[in-house]
Amino acid sequence: MHSGKRSVFLALTLILCLTITFSPPAARSLTPQENNSTQNHAKEDPSQPAVADQAKEPVSNLKSSRTDEGQLATINNAKIPSYSKVFVAPISDGFENYVIAGLRNKKVPLTVVMDRSKADYEISGVSDSEKAGWAKMLFIGSENSNEQASIKILDLRTGAVIFGYSVHKTNSVRGKQSAGEACAKHIKTIVLE
Amino acid sequence: MSHKRKIASVLALLVGIAVSAAVAGENNAPPQQKIPKGAKVFVAPIANGYDSYLKDAFAKKKVPVEIVATRDQADYEITGTSESQKASTAKKVIMGNWHSREEASVTVSNIKSSEVVWAYSVHEEASTHGQRSSAEACAKHLKEAIENQQ
Repeated sequence: MHSGKRSVFLALTLILCLTITFSPPAARSLTPQENNSTQNHAKEDPSQPAVADQAKEPVSNLKSSRTDEGQLATINNAKIPSYSKVFVAPISDGFENYVIAGLRNKKVPLTVVMDRSKADYEISGVSDSEKAGWAKMLFIGSENSNEQASIKILDLRTGAVIFGYSVHKTNSVRGKQSAGEACAKHIKTIVLE
Repeated sequence: MSHKRKIASVLALLVGIAVSAAVAGENNAPPQQKIPKGAKVFVAPIANGYDSYLKDAFAKKKVPVEIVATRDQADYEITGTSESQKASTAKKVIMGNWHSREEASVTVSNIKSSEVVWAYSVHEEASTHGQRSSAEACAKHLKEAIENQQ
């Protein structure tokens, strides 16, 4: 009977180990250290308002990174498991196609699907393109366009925005293609490989 | 007897967990991104009649796919966007350039699984043959993609 109890205990331990091993990486996106780094600012800085005050104010959790191309923001260092299914929502001027092409060109390990119901994440955003006018051609001698775009990634299961990025390119040599590839390159930084 | 039953139920639970974990692992497996030669492809309407240029380019570049007229007959679908800007007077006078500016991006997706299997974007600041050039660039790269993966 004693050995029987021990075998049941061993089996339960095995179950626990298996559950921890096979749990999806997204669920493990926050390590204790990362949690501390993002949530302990109020403790470190006495000038920050108290937690109760923060709840009242619309304070963003976005953290900007230093980059020349644009502004990157991830929330609580969230990561996307590789080969997750991603749906790219229609963006003005067909920019979604450039993002998809950029994801392929930059070898981002994600599976793009055309059906939103099959996706785990959704990429949406806006884009704007400004062609070179006569003044730009005359005074600067450039016929390249100015491109700007901003995208965000939504976790469709939780409804949380986990990533945001905006890019602005003055004199974009490859137009929207450059902006789409910049978005893809920065998406790659949050995909677990 | 009840002790054996307990162990059996625990083992059954373990098997269940292992199977569900394997299924969860399969969901994030790398996709089988291959377009077979002779695949039936439907080219969806694209702005400025760019789909016509694409079909013509596929024939000219001998892309090993079969273009079908309706989406129901197809295994793959090509969608995309294109933009063409004729040379303005300023561009002609100041830059001395008569050629148009072409931009296009196409995506090939598997209709059954709805997965994107190939995508490409092209930008030509001074396109000699306008939309035809960019469509042929797309066709050339699709052909390479199909032939290189075989």
